[in-house]
Amino acid sequence: METATLKQQLKEQIIQFLNLTTFKPEDIKDDQPLFGEGLGLDSIDSLELIALLDRNYGIKINDPKEGRKILVDVNTMVAYIQQHRTK
Amino acid sequence: MFYIHQTVCVSAQKTNGLIDLDDIQPIKDNKLQAIEPNYDAIPPAMYRRMGRAVRLASGAALPLLNTLTFNGIVIGTANGGLEDCIKFLNQIVDYNEGKLTPTNFVQSTTNAIASQLAFFSSNKGYNNTHVHRGLAFENAALDVAMMLNEFPDNSYLLGGVDEISAYQYNIESLAGSYKKESISSAEDLYNSKTTGSIPGDGCTMFAVNKQKTGATAKLKAIGTIHTDKVEEVTQYLTNFINKNLGESSLSLFLSGENGDSRHLPYYSACQNIVPNIAVERFKHLCGEYATASAFALWLACHKIQHNNLKNVLIYNNFRGKQHSFMLVENA
Repeated sequence: METATLKQQLKEQIIQFLNLTTFKPEDIKDDQPLFGEGLGLDSIDSLELIALLDRNYGIKINDPKEGRKILVDVNTMVAYIQQHRTK
Repeated sequence: MFYIHQTVCVSAQKTNGLIDLDDIQPIKDNKLQAIEPNYDAIPPAMYRRMGRAVRLASGAALPLLNTLTFNGIVIGTANGGLEDCIKFLNQIVDYNEGKLTPTNFVQSTTNAIASQLAFFSSNKGYNNTHVHRGLAFENAALDVAMMLNEFPDNSYLLGGVDEISAYQYNIESLAGSYKKESISSAEDLYNSKTTGSIPGDGCTMFAVNKQKTGATAKLKAIGTIHTDKVEEVTQYLTNFINKNLGESSLSLFLSGENGDSRHLPYYSACQNIVPNIAVERFKHLCGEYATASAFALWLACHKIQHNNLKNVLIYNNFRGKQHSFMLVENA
């Protein structure tokens, strides 16, 4: 899958999983931080994102340190998905 | 028992904000779903995770939590966030007991409502949830009454809330709890000869304490009984009246009649115990749900305040087995 298509798909999944009803995929910038002052996500959302990666891409993140490097923004998530996806 | 000071009622009617009970909102699709309140005061990150029951309760409670201080929060809910509960259970099946997400689980527990309200107000006091189906609210009120007997200077937030979830609606429909024929008015509902009622949902919150000054009404007594025998209900009501009303006369009998032919004998028999008393019904306003008696208590307070009634006796039963009586007096 092309990177641009994967980014669009991931943004749609993030909106759906986290119930970000006021967001559209185009509202989420590729390099916008997911947590803190970026998209404003919190620790519960990080668990939702880990489940998203597991269910949709077959990626299991068990190390919290690893998760912090992956769940930075859409760019980092997509890069990790492209390298490690099993489905 | 205790005095009721402020109330907020989120229902299918105009009971929240500008109250207008003359402009009766119609029954839509054989349901009376609560009109959701304004949620601007809820942080977006919290709001997007909330299920309907938690939303309704937050919308009803926040006006009270923002202006009053409570020593505890006590909620009655039969099902809590049932929709989230089903989502969570479905996840277990769909993902083969694999990695589950926390939001649906957190929202699905019945005590998520009372704990969410505690979070809003940083209330670290008594926090309890009663889940005894059709007597959930009554037991929450009894809990508050006992707390106030122990701590008479305290104030409590007392609430009753339940939601219509799609799953619950389907299951209850299959169980025959709801009418199959179209019901669009109070006349349709109460003149019906068939079984079943119309589902409703909503949330009612009460600020209560032992202080008479400034109170809207007084909840003088609550009685509950589990039985399916009409004669046991009427005997219980007779004793309840003798014990709590004494020589006083009743102003109004507020009946939980719900259009279900199976439950009508209970309501008719109880009405006969208090003859020549004005009778009003309320299920055409709020629909049938396990904590509809909380709506009835709000309505009784409203009528006492605006119609200058001396007292109101509420009788409600849930599924013909869980019966409750509440005697509400002018404060």
